[in-house]
Amino acid sequence: MIKKSMLFVLVILFFVFGSMIAYAATLSVWSSPDNADALFELAKNFMEKNPDIQIEVTPLSWEVLYPRILQDITSGAGSFDVSTWDLMTAGAIAPGFEDLNEYAKNHPDLVDTNFDDDDFIPIAKHVYGYWGEKRIGYPFYGACMFFFYRSDLFNNAELKNKFQTKYGRELTVPATWEEVKQVAEFFTKKFNPESPTEYGITLMFPRTHTLFYMFLNFFGPYRRSPEGIKKFGDVNLDWGDFFTADQKPSFNSEEAVKAIQDMIDLMKYAPDPLGSDYGETLEVFGKGMAAMIPQWTATLASWKDSPDLQPFAEKVKVTVMPGGTPVSGGWGVGINASSKNKEAAFRFIQYATSKEGDKIQWLKYRVGPTRISVVENPEIASDSPWVKEAYIPSLEKASHRPRIPEEPKLEDVFVGTLSEILLGQRPNSVETLNQIAEVWMKTLK
Amino acid sequence: MQTIIQRRKRIAFLMVLPLLALFIGLTIYPFAYMIYISFHDYSLVSFEPPQFIGFQNYQNIYSDLTARSSVSFTVFLLAMAVPIEIFLGLGIAFLIRDVFGERVFRGLLLIPMMIPPVVAGIAWKMLYNYEFGPVNYFLSLIGYSKVSWLGNHIFSRLGVVMIDVWQWTPFVFLVLYAGLRSIPQEIVEAGYVDGASGWNAIRHIEIPLIKPLIWVVLIIRSIDALKLFDIVYMVTFGGPGSSTHSYSFYIYKAGVSFGWDIGYASALSILLLLVIALLTNFLIRFLRLKEVLEL
Repeated sequence: MIKKSMLFVLVILFFVFGSMIAYAATLSVWSSPDNADALFELAKNFMEKNPDIQIEVTPLSWEVLYPRILQDITSGAGSFDVSTWDLMTAGAIAPGFEDLNEYAKNHPDLVDTNFDDDDFIPIAKHVYGYWGEKRIGYPFYGACMFFFYRSDLFNNAELKNKFQTKYGRELTVPATWEEVKQVAEFFTKKFNPESPTEYGITLMFPRTHTLFYMFLNFFGPYRRSPEGIKKFGDVNLDWGDFFTADQKPSFNSEEAVKAIQDMIDLMKYAPDPLGSDYGETLEVFGKGMAAMIPQWTATLASWKDSPDLQPFAEKVKVTVMPGGTPVSGGWGVGINASSKNKEAAFRFIQYATSKEGDKIQWLKYRVGPTRISVVENPEIASDSPWVKEAYIPSLEKASHRPRIPEEPKLEDVFVGTLSEILLGQRPNSVETLNQIAEVWMKTLK
Repeated sequence: MQTIIQRRKRIAFLMVLPLLALFIGLTIYPFAYMIYISFHDYSLVSFEPPQFIGFQNYQNIYSDLTARSSVSFTVFLLAMAVPIEIFLGLGIAFLIRDVFGERVFRGLLLIPMMIPPVVAGIAWKMLYNYEFGPVNYFLSLIGYSKVSWLGNHIFSRLGVVMIDVWQWTPFVFLVLYAGLRSIPQEIVEAGYVDGASGWNAIRHIEIPLIKPLIWVVLIIRSIDALKLFDIVYMVTFGGPGSSTHSYSFYIYKAGVSFGWDIGYASALSILLLLVIALLTNFLIRFLRLKEVLEL
């Protein structure tokens, strides 16, 4: 009886610990859902080449990932080995992430000789990699917002004639927000019963971090104009376009009031902008109900098979955001300083951000490339010619959110008041924006 | 004999000890730490140890406009949702009594309560979708234009109230229905004999007999309304503006989502706890539940 019991216990122990013994390391990789699909495939490829390493990718929603990372690095628990991180969280997470340059220097045997660090798009290398002098990640997911539009409608001869008659100019893809207003009115049934689409544009202005970055699409052109640079100074990549060169708020200005007015003027051509976020706007455009949409790179993948947008190559085209300074997004991938599997983690993140990994991400998952060689790759050029035409110029001129540790609080204060302005509960004025600036400066003290 | 009793007490204590340890570790200790940290400046993003600041966090609540607007919405929810739930729950309890198919109705009515609030929030967010949501579709069938349930200040608040009423009226119904069922029929029949009609019997006999249950349900639902979080998080995220910022949601934002200000969030939580405790005690005294509940 005792022997049978011992045998039973041994069998149980074997199953419990057997899988752990089989691998030299099991990596826990956290990721937002945006990056997860690509990471699953990259992890699978890496494990095939490195059978001694097991990787578990855990997608966590954006709202959950950031607090989890912070809680883990603050406590030093080491619950994850590798994580992707949103670029504006760099300042907050930097203390808890491994300095990859130092690590590479101390472990030259682990450095991939084909990694080619100089191949990264320079701006991507900084914003998805550095906080100050510390390299906390490698660029994993390049992104900025683009302007997608129904090219079949813009090329339609009959519509072009009608537009010319009504507005006295040719129907072209808008290059400024003023032009967008006219075109959006033309394509909104409520204002033009002959419009082929219900709405001219879809916009997402919900009371979340979405509104924070959407604002930059409108403010960026003013901030980065010659007059804006003269008034506010150059943009610091860590403090972003919300600040002046000497780290004071730049948005409590007439320029921001004009930007917000542009947002207000466009709201009537969009379906429920204050109640719409990512999913809602994707759906409206995907069903062919809107003529234009500002959105992220990866949205192409969600529309490609949409029946109302076929043939896709003819119906949907991409251009630079009106104003020319789209908000930047994107993610880095780094190693938890408390990780107990740093060697395996370092090997994995080099593969995940390698030329091969970058190419797979774009071709299969429409995750924005971060490497120059991938952008210039003939296969990419023939698959998506706009990547070189629109993506690089957009990334280089992108407007940036702050990457400082206080960013989440600043963002929420800003979004709360901006949402009230858009609702009509508060006036769109420098005085109102000054109230936000006051809270910002108090927070930053 | 004494030794046996002492031995039994010791065994009982040992058996309860693991649960007691868990309770202290997972409830008492975090609660005590929360009180302690509410008097400190402690942010997760600063990597600095907590700094003692006395009552500064509590003073900041008073001047915090977002905290005040979250109180305003929470009071709105309390004033709108709870009375509707009580009236509807009571009404349904009376209506389905002894009706054909009562058991089936009873089962169906309880379904909303069994759905996790997070799942309910996801579902309602789809129902409220401006373009494709069924709510606007059915409104259009009866001649109304589309409503911005998530993007309008007034409708977003009403939308949250509707979800809360939909989900928790079944709870009120369940408790009051059980109460009605437990009334001794002789009392009701005696009333009929004395000339009480249907409505009079309800008003003067049945409702007074289940009044203590009504008050208990009122207290429980009031406490839940003050703590509302999941529906706001899943459906409106506090917007548009600060229209649907519930107090609990603001605690989450201050402590976890954006502020990382654990000290301030703890102070907000302590304040909520005090309000709930005061309200509960007030209601128990005011409604004279002490005698009924033998407290």
